[in-house]
Amino acid sequence: MSLGRFLIRKIAVAVATMVAVSFLIFLALEVNIEEVAVKVLGQYSTPEQRAAWLLQNGYNDPFLIRYFRWLGNFVIGDWGQSTYFRAPVMDMVLPRLGASAILAGGALLVIIIFGLGLGVLAGMRPGSVLDRMISVFSVVTTSIPDFASAVFLSGIFVFWLGLLPGASTMISGFSLRELILPVAVLGLYSMGYLARVTRASMVDVMGTHYIRTARLKGASLSRIVLRHALRNALITPVTVIMLQLPWLLSGVIVVEVFYAYKGFGTLLYDAALNQDIYLIEACAMISVLVVVLSQILSDLIYGWLNPRIELGAKA
Amino acid sequence: MDEFKTLSGKPLHPEARKMQARFNAGQIDRRGFLRGMAWLGVAAGAAGAAPGMLRAEEAPKAGGTLRFACQIQEITDPMMATWIESSNLLRNCLEFLTFVDADNITHPYLAKSWTASDDLTVWDFELDERAKWSNGDAFGPEDVIFNIERWIAPDSQSSNKSAFEAITKVEKTGDNSVRITLSRPIASLPEQLYSHTCAIAHRGFQGNWPADPVGTGPFSLVSHEVGRQAIFKKREDYWGTPAYLDALHYIDLGADITTHLAALSSGQVDVLYRATIAEFDLMKSLPNIQILTGKAAHTLAIRMQVDQKPFDDIRVRKAVQLAADNGQMLAIAYRGEGDLGANYHVSPVQADYAPVDAIARDVAAAKALLAEAGYPDGLDIELTLGNTQGKWEQDTAQVLQQNLAEAGIRLKLNVLPASQYWPIWDKVPFGVTYWAHRPLGTMTLDLAYRSGGAWNESHYANPAFDEALNKAMALVDPAARREAMAAVETILRDDAVLVQPYWPNRFSAAAQNVRGFVLHPSDFFRMDGVWLA
Repeated sequence: MSLGRFLIRKIAVAVATMVAVSFLIFLALEVNIEEVAVKVLGQYSTPEQRAAWLLQNGYNDPFLIRYFRWLGNFVIGDWGQSTYFRAPVMDMVLPRLGASAILAGGALLVIIIFGLGLGVLAGMRPGSVLDRMISVFSVVTTSIPDFASAVFLSGIFVFWLGLLPGASTMISGFSLRELILPVAVLGLYSMGYLARVTRASMVDVMGTHYIRTARLKGASLSRIVLRHALRNALITPVTVIMLQLPWLLSGVIVVEVFYAYKGFGTLLYDAALNQDIYLIEACAMISVLVVVLSQILSDLIYGWLNPRIELGAKA
Repeated sequence: MDEFKTLSGKPLHPEARKMQARFNAGQIDRRGFLRGMAWLGVAAGAAGAAPGMLRAEEAPKAGGTLRFACQIQEITDPMMATWIESSNLLRNCLEFLTFVDADNITHPYLAKSWTASDDLTVWDFELDERAKWSNGDAFGPEDVIFNIERWIAPDSQSSNKSAFEAITKVEKTGDNSVRITLSRPIASLPEQLYSHTCAIAHRGFQGNWPADPVGTGPFSLVSHEVGRQAIFKKREDYWGTPAYLDALHYIDLGADITTHLAALSSGQVDVLYRATIAEFDLMKSLPNIQILTGKAAHTLAIRMQVDQKPFDDIRVRKAVQLAADNGQMLAIAYRGEGDLGANYHVSPVQADYAPVDAIARDVAAAKALLAEAGYPDGLDIELTLGNTQGKWEQDTAQVLQQNLAEAGIRLKLNVLPASQYWPIWDKVPFGVTYWAHRPLGTMTLDLAYRSGGAWNESHYANPAFDEALNKAMALVDPAARREAMAAVETILRDDAVLVQPYWPNRFSAAAQNVRGFVLHPSDFFRMDGVWLA
């Protein structure tokens, strides 16, 4: 399948997924119009005020008409007004998404550099002391959930050593120091997991015939690893890395809330806690979009890493 | 009597003379005496300390920016403020007719003096003619009338409507004076005017304060972003004593107090709005902070709606009270850091508290009452709570769950996020509601238990209670008021409306260089007297 056809097919599936999910979101949040009015106007609004608001905003129309109107508005960027933050949802979501992208990007960088690096180092010489040390480290970091490592790291670096700031609000602008702890927490868990997967993949590749042939031809270990082994050994780790994208989006909620980082995670958390209906809808749609886009991206990267994998081939 | 003068220069109220005689005879304590005198508009020189001023011995230093960690909520209409945090943001820009300090003594504020009629139903307030709005307008009686009329309007949704339902008329009596007429005597009216919903807005207020942030206060609003931050700067043209700080930054650090402490410890903020018992050990281990502690009449009201099954049967309510172990709840859920409650919602720190004995725990009696009420095999009930002040609320409910199990009451806990609890706090049949401090027991009881009261979440309605409360509210003399309160408290206790397990101590923390920050029992934090060393 050509790249163009592949992309068209994938985007069509992504759009269908988005439409299906959007229907479910709308069904869950807006099927009861009385509840919508209470959430928007508040508990203390009078029945007359609610009735007038519902009429004015077309809520007395049939459900499907309301759904398509909402979907149309969403597509053109009219995401409504946040009932808790009292600001346009679009203006809330995009900067917060940017802030989370910085956090998730930093974490991904840490995960890739350290996870792949440690995994390759361990897989080059299976059974060595270095391999065992890296394996122990990987198991430990993978075993500690992010909310626990957030407490441990804050206990050590904020309360005990006093080296790092305890909150990451970035209120006064971007601060690399405030980014260190949340990135470290997000990175630690996935880094260990990626290192283990990379190690296993590396060990498999290092045992193959063509690596043995390269060795017999007298190639150095670094040349064997970098020129011959790494590309094939990366296919499985790349799957793990791509899976981190949607995971990071949900993982950031815990970390962002703990460090008071004003990103997409805290926005979603606040929206859910305050039943901020239009904000929840937008956040849910964005989350689904990130997941489908990361799937398309991972398919493209597989194809680049291993041309034998046909784009869009059925497993 | 020579040393006492009214703030207005008018003759002393007859009650003031009686009170001094009783004070001289040692029948009332100094604090109660000062409070009562202040209500009657007496400039008790001894009541002295200027409002919100520092208590440090160093000379105050002007300048600097103080960063305050607290939730940044919506601020639209001051009379509708349901959270103290949001009222504290407004407090920087909007002022009140009176000011009640941390010792519960009432002082002049926008009103420089007041006098009451002998029967305490007609109150004349003299406004400070120096007060000016930030838009240049002079502050005057029209502003006061505009606000009070909004509070008590038939369609008002404010808790002020119930708190001031006795106001029958508010009128201008001079260029700088207003008269408030009441349908029944309320001795503590000046004190009640410092409730967090009583900030005075400009007479042209349209209902959304940040859209036109006009105020008389010492700071002006620079920016306000819900869930993020609010910035205030010092007003150079402030009519009163200027604030020390150049600016105030309120920063929303989310709900986790550990993060607040981490930010305080690493120098990112200077003052925390509140800490809880859960962080007490951590606070004690941090060398670079000041721990602030205090007692207040704030508590958890585990109240039953008396018109909902099965709580419409007083035997069931009494069984719940008899099975509950208040001491155990305090010891386990709050590690003993507080004082025991006795199920009538008046605290020993409130001036009108009368020591009425708690009814001792009796599980056997609880079982017998349940059987009599038709539940010989026990009872299934649900308790809804929202941990609005922290996890200790749930810990308290879990201890209660174990207590009630001993009497055969199977309690199911329905734990909601705080923000989901507030919309239904007055709707659930059995709920745990946090009640903030109020200087007087009558103020709480009037809001929470008077028949038809705006915040009467238990739907309790007892004319005898209302009558006894009216009587207590009309008395200025602390000893007489306490006596009347004993009757009020006894009625409420015996009608078994709530389990009110304990009065938790209050905790907060500040950076070492913060001076003049007073842990007000109501969390009403005025920042004009705060400075940075």
